[in-house]
Amino acid sequence: MGKRSVKRLVGLFSTPIIFLSSLVYAAKMAGPEYTTPSEGWDELWRELMIDIVVIGVIFAIVTTYLLIKYRRKSPNETGSATKLKPIAAFGWVLIPVFIFMADDIYLGLENLIHWRDFRNVPQNAYTVEATGRMWGYEIKYPEGITTQNEMRVPVGRPIQVTLQSSDVIHTMFIPDYRVKWDMLPGTVHYLWFYPKEAGEHVFTCTEFCGVLHSGMYGKLIVMPVDAFNKWVDENKPKGENKPKEGGAV
Amino acid sequence: MGNHIMEEVVGHAKEHAGAHELAWHTSVWPLLMSVGILFLAPLAFAFYFVYQNPLLAAISLGIGAPLTIISIAGWVKEGFEDEHHYSEGHSIWAMPIFILAEALLFVGFFAAYWVLRLTQPSWPPQGTPEMPLLIPIIMTIVLVSSSVTIHFAEKRLEEDDRSGFTTWLIITIALGALFLGFTGFEWNELWHEGFTPKTNVYSTAFFSLTGFHGSHVLVGLAIFLCALIPALAGKISKPYVTAASMYWHFVDIVWFFVVSQVYFW
Amino acid sequence: MSVRAETYTSGFSLKEWIFTTDHKRIAVLYMIGSFAAFFVAGLMAMLMRTELLTPGGTITNNPTNYNVWLYFHGAAMILGYQIPALTGYFANYYVPLMIGAKDVAFPRLNALSVWLFWMGIVLALLTFVIPDPPDIMWTGYPPYSIKTPGNTAFYTFTVLLIGFSSIAGGVNFLTTIIRMRAPGITWGKLNIFIWALMAAFVIQLIFVPILGTAVTMLSLDKYLGTNYFNAAMGGSPLIYENLFWFYSHPAVYVILLPAVGVLYEIVATFTRNRVFNYNGVVYGGIWGTVALSGVVWIHHIFVSGMPQWIIIIEVFTTLAISVPVGILLIGLVGTLWKGSIDFKTPMLYATGFLFLFLIGGLTGIPNAMSSIYIHIHGTQWIVAHFHYVMAVSVTTAIIGGTYYMWPKLTGKMYSETLGKLGFALFFTGVNLTFLPWLYLGYLGMPRRYYGYSQFPQFQPIQQFITFGSYIIFLGALVILISLIHSLIKGEKAPQNPWGSKSLEWTHTQSPPPPGNFTQPVKVDEDWDPYGYNK
Ligand code: HEA
Ligand code: HEA
Ligand code: CUA
Ligand SMILES: [Cu+2]
Repeated sequence: MGKRSVKRLVGLFSTPIIFLSSLVYAAKMAGPEYTTPSEGWDELWRELMIDIVVIGVIFAIVTTYLLIKYRRKSPNETGSATKLKPIAAFGWVLIPVFIFMADDIYLGLENLIHWRDFRNVPQNAYTVEATGRMWGYEIKYPEGITTQNEMRVPVGRPIQVTLQSSDVIHTMFIPDYRVKWDMLPGTVHYLWFYPKEAGEHVFTCTEFCGVLHSGMYGKLIVMPVDAFNKWVDENKPKGENKPKEGGAV
Repeated sequence: MGNHIMEEVVGHAKEHAGAHELAWHTSVWPLLMSVGILFLAPLAFAFYFVYQNPLLAAISLGIGAPLTIISIAGWVKEGFEDEHHYSEGHSIWAMPIFILAEALLFVGFFAAYWVLRLTQPSWPPQGTPEMPLLIPIIMTIVLVSSSVTIHFAEKRLEEDDRSGFTTWLIITIALGALFLGFTGFEWNELWHEGFTPKTNVYSTAFFSLTGFHGSHVLVGLAIFLCALIPALAGKISKPYVTAASMYWHFVDIVWFFVVSQVYFW
Repeated sequence: MSVRAETYTSGFSLKEWIFTTDHKRIAVLYMIGSFAAFFVAGLMAMLMRTELLTPGGTITNNPTNYNVWLYFHGAAMILGYQIPALTGYFANYYVPLMIGAKDVAFPRLNALSVWLFWMGIVLALLTFVIPDPPDIMWTGYPPYSIKTPGNTAFYTFTVLLIGFSSIAGGVNFLTTIIRMRAPGITWGKLNIFIWALMAAFVIQLIFVPILGTAVTMLSLDKYLGTNYFNAAMGGSPLIYENLFWFYSHPAVYVILLPAVGVLYEIVATFTRNRVFNYNGVVYGGIWGTVALSGVVWIHHIFVSGMPQWIIIIEVFTTLAISVPVGILLIGLVGTLWKGSIDFKTPMLYATGFLFLFLIGGLTGIPNAMSSIYIHIHGTQWIVAHFHYVMAVSVTTAIIGGTYYMWPKLTGKMYSETLGKLGFALFFTGVNLTFLPWLYLGYLGMPRRYYGYSQFPQFQPIQQFITFGSYIIFLGALVILISLIHSLIKGEKAPQNPWGSKSLEWTHTQSPPPPGNFTQPVKVDEDWDPYGYNK
């Protein structure tokens, strides 16, 4: 177990990672800028899957190779590994530490960019208030409208949802936009997303909240701007014509 | 709690191989004690608080408490009757390890206390009466003295002065009981002023921390009783006493944290 | 070794079993208790899987039934099956034998540990007969656990009983390992399993008390009206979440480390090889994991409303856990190198672990990335992650370890055919079940759902998963049958059927007599539990 095998190991592990990171960076420079956190999420997810699949496959191949190569050939055979020399023993700890840490730090830093995107709400966001209860959502719009288990928002504009709960902990999860956040009694949280196309989506609860936890969901309806404004006009309480700040488009 | 300390008086295998060694050793007390604890705590609690059935709770206590006490007594007796002293030297290692775990119980409660305290708009929160300051000082003096007296007891034991040991042990137990008396008195006072665990987050932390500490004093007293009663009959295990006094010093130290942070800080 | 078997194996005495203070018999009591918990919790899993065949009600129309099954399944699998199987059953059977001791330091305390654990199991099983059973999931988050009519007190006390049992076990075993090693067994010559177990008990001793405080506060709040988690009075449910995960994350390494320790013994024995990089594994892998285990718990509550800075720190600490765990895996794979591998049933399980744990561990990496987490938290992706890493991988260690020590424990050999058949079914079943499960989670299917009428498109995948899980059940049955078959029909086991160099195989007969060794054990200067090639 000399220096040569240590070097071989460095080669074995570091090459694919260096190769991979340069590929990713190249692809990123060529690729589109994300405009929404959810697209960034998909991009990062793909990258991660490549990363862990490559690591997994390397380990699996090495393991399979060793399993086949060192099968027992005669009943009295014993293994022939000797104690590692101190330098090799250190090498087999330190080198993996560096390689794994390199990958970890690389991923962790990538993550921070996307985390920032998820948590920083753009200035011009349209804001609705959501309150969770056992078992449903109440959505309040800046124009004074209230809906139950239904959230209507205009297309093409960032949407912020403030989150609260009137009893136990709930969550608002919108799988199609890759967002979720807990709704706690006593504190106000938020999430935001950017609907680029009109359509219908599900939002649902992912924090266990009792008997009807799985029945606590609602419909997110992303509407064309005109239709949305029309809906607001038709439904807002009579006698209150002026939209509040941050209101309709 | 703390029962394992009694282990050190337990003897099992002989040093020398012999016919005796090829028998399976048994003891009825661990199983009985577990059943006792099951009735004493979970079942009694659930009957009373969850199912609001005081009768069943009382029956549960009636089964659990005697079973637990008998098991402890039997366990201690068995330990003294065992002539091999198999576990003897181990308890001075085991007790510090156990104390580490015990200390972390308090860390958990203190962590919760400080989080609650630092997130309040004002401290102490509304509804808190003027807290008595004299009583905690007296309590501190009482508990510190008991740490000193148990030290004296140990000294006497080292000098093989058995009756001196017993005397100091009794004084220690009396001081511990006095301490508990003060806790009871103070709780009663506060309760009458309308300060109960429900009042606010301070009362929540106050009653849990002092109550939890008090329960440790109670366990310490039980451990001492398990030394005192055999001692009156002339049986003393030195390692047991050492371990018991370690535990008592620990309970004393925890009190400093409680009294300084809950009353005076 | 001289055989004086007749004096102690003749006849079965119930009294000698239930009042025993012998570590080998206590190990068997732990085994029965933990396998019973596994069996019942596994049946609950089968009920849940069957329920999920359709988006609405399938075998019950009352969601509370599903929630109670799930509560029992999660709590019993972790607290009743895996932790006791590893830190009770394996620890008791091997520690004194591997270090050449007659018993543990405090045999009676040991008996108290096992019976307190049994009382915990009894309390958990009462779930099925009491009115208003607990329905609060194994995490027991307030305020729900305080508002529910369900019996939260039983949850608190189950945790406290098993927790106290484990603390007593930790005190006992750490003292035993520190004080009772046979002359000649130095720290550098301990079996890896012993190191892993010490690490697990250190974690238990530090963190179990914190869990104890968390669940105690829960019942104080619910039944005595304190305000720890009551937001209206200035308390906060986040205190609970932090205290709970402060223990329950390290708990996963309480499970992982002894499991890996057992696998090291299996792999070394069946490759007749020395452990690859012993010091690196012990100090880097095992103690490295312990060192990091206490600083990553926030990754369970990234979207619960913790401050940003702590989330950012814990993304990196969590990712860093891949380093010591990676070293553990390298050591295990490295032990194959230059070995002489014999694929007996225990070794098959170890081989299975090498692949299954890769999937499980690597699916933990996306979880650690806070932005990815936003989507996958609370979905079936997480459930699939921990089933791979815990339910599946660690179960291979527990079952593989059981086969490995079976000859020593019972004095009987098992049937290799049945053993291998069980493994094949189990391995096929878990992959058919949990690979699609990961995909289901990626698609956004939430956890703890009795029904999924808002996601009717998931029905085919759910049905496929259910089908896979039936194969796991079949595999488990074959395993159980193979063990019973061995008890009834098994050939008599020799002292050292595997040709191992470890003390428990070389120095005492199968099964060992009371007192373990007929003469006091002493090892030479050049003794090594893995010294196959000097
Ligand atoms: C035995 C149990 C076990 C083990 C070992 C692990 C191991 C890991 N777990 Fe897992 N986990 C659980 C049991 C376990 N987990 C349970 C029960 C839950 C859910 C609880 C609940 O909510 O009910 C959970 C949930 C959970 C979450 C929270 C998810 C959520 O609630 O949304 C996270 C987040 O970070 C996480 C991460 C990890 C990581 C990073 C590891 C790491 O330790 C994995 C390290 C291993 C590897 C990475 C593979 C081997 C290493 C290499 C091949 C080296 C090279 C690799 C790299 C450089 C990446 N786990
Ligand atoms: C060690 C832990 C462990 C193990 C082994 C398992 C094993 C299994 N689990 Fe579970 N599971 C958890 C830990 C575990 N699980 C946890 C912690 C949760 C989360 C709880 C929560 O959300 O609060 C969970 C949640 C969970 C869910 C709920 C998902 C949801 O709604 O959110 C489901 C759904 O089907 C499930 C399924 C299964 C299945 C099919 C198996 C199968 O692999 C089971 C197969 C086993 C058997 C059928 C037993 C057969 C046994 C014998 C025949 C005798 C045995 C004896 C010997 C082999 C010697 N698990
Ligand atoms: Cu609301 Cu789950
Ligand atoms: Cu974790």
